[in-house]
Amino acid sequence: MDVVAEVSQETGFAGESGADKLQERLQKRHQARVEDAERRKEAKESQSVAEEKGEYFYTTFNKERASIEELLSSCSGADRAAVTRTLEEATAKTVQLQKFLNDSMLFLKQYDLRQAQAALQKLQTSLTEIREEALPKKKFGFRARTKATDPVSAPVSATPLPDAGTPADSGSTKVDGAAAPEQCSFSNMDNVSLTKTAEEIQKRDVLLTHLTNCKVRLFGAPSTLHLKHIDSCEILCGPVSSSVFIDHCTNSTLAVPCQQLRTHNTTDTQVYLHVTSRAIIEDCRGVSFAPFSWSYPTLEEDFTVAGLDQDRNNWNQVDDFNWLAAGTPSPNWTVIPEVDRKTNWDP
Amino acid sequence: MGLLTILKKMKQKEREMRLLMLGLDNAGKTTILKKFNGEDVSTISPTLGFNIKTLEHRGFKLNIWDVGGQKSLRSYWRNYFESTDGLVWVVDSADRLRLEDCRQELSSLLLEERLAGATLLVFANKQDLPGALSKEAIREALALDEIKSHHWCIIGCSAVTGENLLAGVDWLLDDIAARIFTTD
Ligand SMILES: Nc1nc2c(ncn2[C@@H]2O[C@H](COP(=O)(O)OP(=O)(O)OP(=O)(O)O)[C@@H](O)[C@H]2O)c(=O)[nH]1
Ligand SMILES: [Mg+2]
Repeated sequence: MDVVAEVSQETGFAGESGADKLQERLQKRHQARVEDAERRKEAKESQSVAEEKGEYFYTTFNKERASIEELLSSCSGADRAAVTRTLEEATAKTVQLQKFLNDSMLFLKQYDLRQAQAALQKLQTSLTEIREEALPKKKFGFRARTKATDPVSAPVSATPLPDAGTPADSGSTKVDGAAAPEQCSFSNMDNVSLTKTAEEIQKRDVLLTHLTNCKVRLFGAPSTLHLKHIDSCEILCGPVSSSVFIDHCTNSTLAVPCQQLRTHNTTDTQVYLHVTSRAIIEDCRGVSFAPFSWSYPTLEEDFTVAGLDQDRNNWNQVDDFNWLAAGTPSPNWTVIPEVDRKTNWDP
Repeated sequence: MGLLTILKKMKQKEREMRLLMLGLDNAGKTTILKKFNGEDVSTISPTLGFNIKTLEHRGFKLNIWDVGGQKSLRSYWRNYFESTDGLVWVVDSADRLRLEDCRQELSSLLLEERLAGATLLVFANKQDLPGALSKEAIREALALDEIKSHHWCIIGCSAVTGENLLAGVDWLLDDIAARIFTTD
């Protein structure tokens, strides 16, 4: 397959240039292939090193874990002094195992890491339980610094520093979840079409909350975009320089370019996405993705304003924080099949 | 020589500190870490797990742990408490809708026995956003004045512009150093 494609490409070149040029090209291509093979070999080697390390980790981790579990099970029926000794040993071993895990994490896969952490947590819980059961009240080991005798833990008041150069604070410290006057927002609306212009949006944080059956068009480049409690809406937005944060959105269609997409508690929603780092979902169901395809006259400029790379779109690399098993894809999100993708965004 | 003195001496020799950076997801923890270290901040993804960075700053060796703040990861935070010298709590100052969440998570952290000795720095981040609350408003919303158990300080900053990141870290180092590196 590969070879055929390459040959036909070379022939294409030959048709438009002389034989020596062709020779030169073939030479170059050969060189490139050799280098490529080298690279692949290196990659493979470093991967096998990682695998070896991983294997060493699992063997050691599981052996240690088993020995701690054994210690713990030997506690049942033993006398108090023996339990105290055993628990002390088990505690020390658990601390060491945590340290071993911390030292190994650089080469562990995220999923395996979480498995190991979960195992450790379980050990810690059993330890506490056994300790409470076998040795009620009486604590042993060193107490953490005692507050009464340590002069350092006296409270200090907290403004020894130069002011943060915050935007002029007019003394309004209202934090009740309502949008601030200086924030660009739409809230609590049904069945309307809403638009914001570049001037209203540029470099601001935009907040949309409690919208039902609305069509929203944001022509500009916001700093961040927050969507919360959105039902049956179509929301199209220009390039967002940092993150888009979605919470409790259902039955909707969204289109947006951004640096990060963070989706929570969202169901049955289509996202036409341009994302330069990665998208994540957490506690979501039925979220589907396709590449961003909405356009408006100043889109290109707004990509520049937002500082987003238009050639870098990871729209289909979605991390599901509730589904970290390597190899098996998350059932909570899908790619929208090409034939079903929306191409007409007219109002 | 008491045990505490021996421990202090040991630490003093290494002049090493362990800082733990926590906060809700999207607060800007990883961005702060990378900006502080002079790295590119435009390619950062939401943290699935954690990052650690070891930095030299003012002659100290700082081990900074940045742990993901997504809801599903918060139950793992406790795995990183051990021997923390400084806790950096990062707040998205423009995220008014989750300030209450933010207050609760912080106050339960402060009850943790294993964090009992740690100094607390609160970064009121994203001050570059027009809708950001001031650090005074954040201080009130998080009820910081009620904290009696830890040394604390709140600083308004922006991970994007880099403003005040250094001021915050310097305060934290001074406070920790005064505590663990002084000989008695
Ligand atoms: N405007 C502005 N955006 C910021 C600032 N700090 C971070 N951001 C943006 O906020 C988003 C989240 O930042 P991260 O650093 O990934 O947040 P985090 O706290 O590490 O999040 P988790 O890893 O999920 O816990 C990114 O898009 C950043 O670019 C800031 O000071 N100002
Ligand atoms: Mg992060």
